Amino acid sequence: MTNSGMDTSPVPPRGQFFLRANVLAGLMFIALAVLGLWLSRNYPVGTALRMGTGYVPRLLCWIMGGLGVVVMVQEFVASDGNILTGEALLWRPLVFVPLSIVIFALTIERLGVVIATVLLIVIGALAGRGMRALEVAITAVLLAALTVGIFVWGLALTIPVWPEW
Amino acid sequence: MYDLFSNLILGFSVAMTPANLGFALVGCLVGTLIGVLPGIGPVATVAMLLPLTFYLEPVSGLIMLAGIFYGAQYGGSTTAILVNLPGETSSVVTCIDGHQMAKQGRAGAALAIAALGSFFAGCVSTLLIALFSPPLAKVGQSFGAPEYFSLMVLGLIAAVVLAHGSIVKAVAMVIFGLLLGLVGTDGNTGGQRFTFGLITLADGIGFVPVAIGVFGVGEIIANLVRGEEQRSLVQAKITRLWPTKEEFKLAWPATLRGTALGSILGVLPGGGATLSSFAAYAFEKKIARDPSRFGRGAIEGVAGPESANNAGAQTSFIPMLTLGLPGNAVMALMIGALTIHGIQPGPQVMTERPALFWGMVASMWIGNLMLLVINLPLIGIWVQLLKVPYRVLYLAILLFCAIGVYTVSNNTLDVIITAMFGVLGYIFIKFECEPAPMLLGFVLGPLMEENLRRAMRISGGDPMIFVNRPISLGLLVAAAVLLVIVMLPAIRAKREEAFQEG
Repeated sequence: MTNSGMDTSPVPPRGQFFLRANVLAGLMFIALAVLGLWLSRNYPVGTALRMGTGYVPRLLCWIMGGLGVVVMVQEFVASDGNILTGEALLWRPLVFVPLSIVIFALTIERLGVVIATVLLIVIGALAGRGMRALEVAITAVLLAALTVGIFVWGLALTIPVWPEW
Repeated sequence: MYDLFSNLILGFSVAMTPANLGFALVGCLVGTLIGVLPGIGPVATVAMLLPLTFYLEPVSGLIMLAGIFYGAQYGGSTTAILVNLPGETSSVVTCIDGHQMAKQGRAGAALAIAALGSFFAGCVSTLLIALFSPPLAKVGQSFGAPEYFSLMVLGLIAAVVLAHGSIVKAVAMVIFGLLLGLVGTDGNTGGQRFTFGLITLADGIGFVPVAIGVFGVGEIIANLVRGEEQRSLVQAKITRLWPTKEEFKLAWPATLRGTALGSILGVLPGGGATLSSFAAYAFEKKIARDPSRFGRGAIEGVAGPESANNAGAQTSFIPMLTLGLPGNAVMALMIGALTIHGIQPGPQVMTERPALFWGMVASMWIGNLMLLVINLPLIGIWVQLLKVPYRVLYLAILLFCAIGVYTVSNNTLDVIITAMFGVLGYIFIKFECEPAPMLLGFVLGPLMEENLRRAMRISGGDPMIFVNRPISLGLLVAAAVLLVIVMLPAIRAKREEAFQEG
């Protein structure tokens, strides 16, 4: 199991119904549709001639939810989709990749691009396998220099380079 | 005919200025550089580098962006041949015979044929764009709101039908994209939609955070979860670059066939490079006198798909430039870029900004020439790049995604949105939902709603207007027929097969 997080087996046991990619996809569409309908519950709908703010969004949510149901029913009838394995929930990449970007966003304006870059690299490195400390340090320094070179000097963008005291 | 020449002369006069030549060159180089890296396809490359082009004049920005696109496309082929790792779906089939050739010590020939075939295809398809764009734009200009709405429905449906994977899921993704496109202030009533009271979202979700999040960050997470692939880089030194006479003899008819096939398939919504290369490979195998040679280093298996994917990549510009209709994810990115430059995509671009339009067309040919000239000598450098391990590479990509998004709007919230869409992009990959249809819907969402509303105002709220107008009816019927056809069991099986070659 190194190539793919998915496994194909011809006759999946019943219990794994909720681990199938198609079932989860269907649930996702239904959830998104319900969320959309709830968020737009107070939007004026209007009429076809004078469409209100909510007309098109609510219409689309109903269609998307319906399609979600179709996806699930199809899988229930055919049972030919792939099943997700535990690998899909490998938490390190799933947590540290988005986290590194969020930290970058929160620090770039106050601490400057150099520190934000280093933070992104270090936190991002926690997402991978087999990182070596020295390698991360070198990468961080090189990329910070490159960033300042390209964006601050090259493109002359007004990005803070160092923290503002 | 006279028009064609004067238009092309105008185009070359724009594209040949030293600055624009420079941008084309930089675009090709950077595109190849990123495209060569395994695990990053053209969509991610274009999305990631999009912000760099926003500081330029619209023409220069688009020329550079187009250069990035061909570069990435070409870089993917290099990786496919040398490492047996397709950086993108359109070079999956190139791996099959290309890598075999490389193993037999014919890497040089494979790379040269790929480059020459791509260049030939690029020349032909550039000419096709110049020939067919004006009449198509004329048709587009005669369209009213109902026709436009129906055209977009057809475009989205066709994109879904020709893409691979489940059709129902793809349609649902289109709808989700349309909904994302609606976030922000409703242009007609001034009402706020899905903004959570955030001022940043009043103008809608940015195009760049969505594209970079889903295609850039999402891919990174998926790659990390999957773990590092085994790379079988062909270490042998590439000694002989030029193909032999026999190889040429086999390759040039395949190039011609690939170009023809790719040019046709590229124009179709949902078509473009991937479909073209798969179809070309299947076709070459079918007509070969000895099909067993395929998979063991048949040069037609490189020449055909490589010319086809380049032709298809290029002719997919036709509906985008003339009708404002993106056929695939890269074209959706192009539309996003146009919009950010303040240009409303559609048939009026050609008449209102002829220098931009023809400059871009001319630059396509120049870009292809540059790729041919710069790539073969630089192959040694690209090979070196392939040795950079992914555990270092993804950090650089991650950083580039974050900074790229930040520099577009100087808004940190956009960067956070990118992270969110990164997670969403990973979920899409795991749930086997193709993200490309979502991006098409996202780009077309506001336009579709606008045209729907206008049509309703014309008809007084009667939806029959879409059926009563002959052109609109024709487009909708075509969409319905496509959907029905693809649901038929026999066709469905064939469709799956077409994407499983190799």
